[in-house]
Amino acid sequence: MSSRKLAALFVLAFVAPALVADRALAAEDQVYVEYRQKVMSGVGADMGAISDILKHGLPFTAAIALHANRLEDAATLIPTAFEKPVSAGATDAKPEIWQKPDEFKQAIANFASAADALEDAADDGDAAAIQAAFKELGSACGSCHKPFRKPKEESYKNQ
Amino acid sequence: MRRAAPGALVLLLLARVASAASALPDALARGEAVLRAAGGCTCHTDYPGEKAAAPPLAGGRALETPFGVYYSTNLTPDRETGLGAWSEEDFVRAMTEGVAPDGSHYFPVFPYPSFASMTRQDLSDLWAWLRARPAVRRERRAPEAFAPFRLRIGVAGWKLLNFSPRPFAPDPERSAAWNRGAYLVNGPAHCGECHTPRTLTGGLDRSRWLAGSRDGPEGELAPNITPDRRTGIGDWSAVDLAWYLETGIKPDGDDTQGLMAEVIEHGFAHLPDSDRDAIATYLLSLPPIEHELKKKP
Repeated sequence: MSSRKLAALFVLAFVAPALVADRALAAEDQVYVEYRQKVMSGVGADMGAISDILKHGLPFTAAIALHANRLEDAATLIPTAFEKPVSAGATDAKPEIWQKPDEFKQAIANFASAADALEDAADDGDAAAIQAAFKELGSACGSCHKPFRKPKEESYKNQ
Repeated sequence: MRRAAPGALVLLLLARVASAASALPDALARGEAVLRAAGGCTCHTDYPGEKAAAPPLAGGRALETPFGVYYSTNLTPDRETGLGAWSEEDFVRAMTEGVAPDGSHYFPVFPYPSFASMTRQDLSDLWAWLRARPAVRRERRAPEAFAPFRLRIGVAGWKLLNFSPRPFAPDPERSAAWNRGAYLVNGPAHCGECHTPRTLTGGLDRSRWLAGSRDGPEGELAPNITPDRRTGIGDWSAVDLAWYLETGIKPDGDDTQGLMAEVIEHGFAHLPDSDRDAIATYLLSLPPIEHELKKKP
């Protein structure tokens, strides 16, 4: 057998199955990525909705409390959504999520309590307090995104 | 008349002293507003990693650029490491001409090409505010850049190519809000310094003004902020933009990261509503420029 044929056989026997398996694994991982992206899009939708109410002065103060309540609930979905360590491919999740699990959990807990505070403020109905609580909630998004989400220049969307 | 003169003079002097005493707090309040319009000058505060207790405005922050790493200067009134020995004229010259008191040129990582269009009043007020900060001793660090970009003499050539300072000239055809926005965006807020792509010589590419850059400071991507619908902020309303500058929350509910988050937190969030509205009015009136910031394949 020529060395070329041997090489071809080697590729068929070992490399190709590994590639196929890799691809299958990547496809399976992508399903997890898509799920968690949907969870985070839901968070963004509620944040954007509260933002709309406040910036346009819509008469929906009671709705702010409901949105904030949904955000507090969404916070309970995030740890599950990020259980599987996938940080390659079409995702902006940084490996730090799984390297610093306690900090990640703490950041989510901070987000949940900021959402709870906004819900309380909306229940009380004081406009200045609602705005302040909303800003705090925005900061809570940021203080989790900063260590755990890839910045714009590294985002898969901008490559 | 002759007898009355000394008394009148005393009265006049007293009046001047009184107005100087009451003018200072006004100048300080205005100066702080100028600092906020400049995004809080956060490049001059070194936040080590997370926001720890860094001395505000004492410099030393590493600013990565395509030309090398530059360190910001100490703006506090420390005599040896800060601006303590400077006069107001020294400050105005640095801001509008990019020249240090010893006559050397500043690297254009210091955005004096934008500050050059600031009014004398704003510069004086900012100077008064800076003078009133506590002095912090913090040594300056030399840049870590390739040879041509770490030599100040090279900046003279750069200025010939890329620096044509001019004071702000209002457009009488436009509204007061538009003109205020134009002044803020292109002057103190120096938006173009990060959001405009640079030419090969490191000058701002005037043909793509505010159309975004992948080579923003600290290696960050600075988005296209012209109102192009696909690649810019053409789908944002003026209300969206003013709200964003106040809270950092984008229309889709996402938050802001990187240097812009600091610029909002320490700067634009503290501006009067009318200034944020003015910036929004001006930016959304610009000609849309299609400029994609994805990496070239």
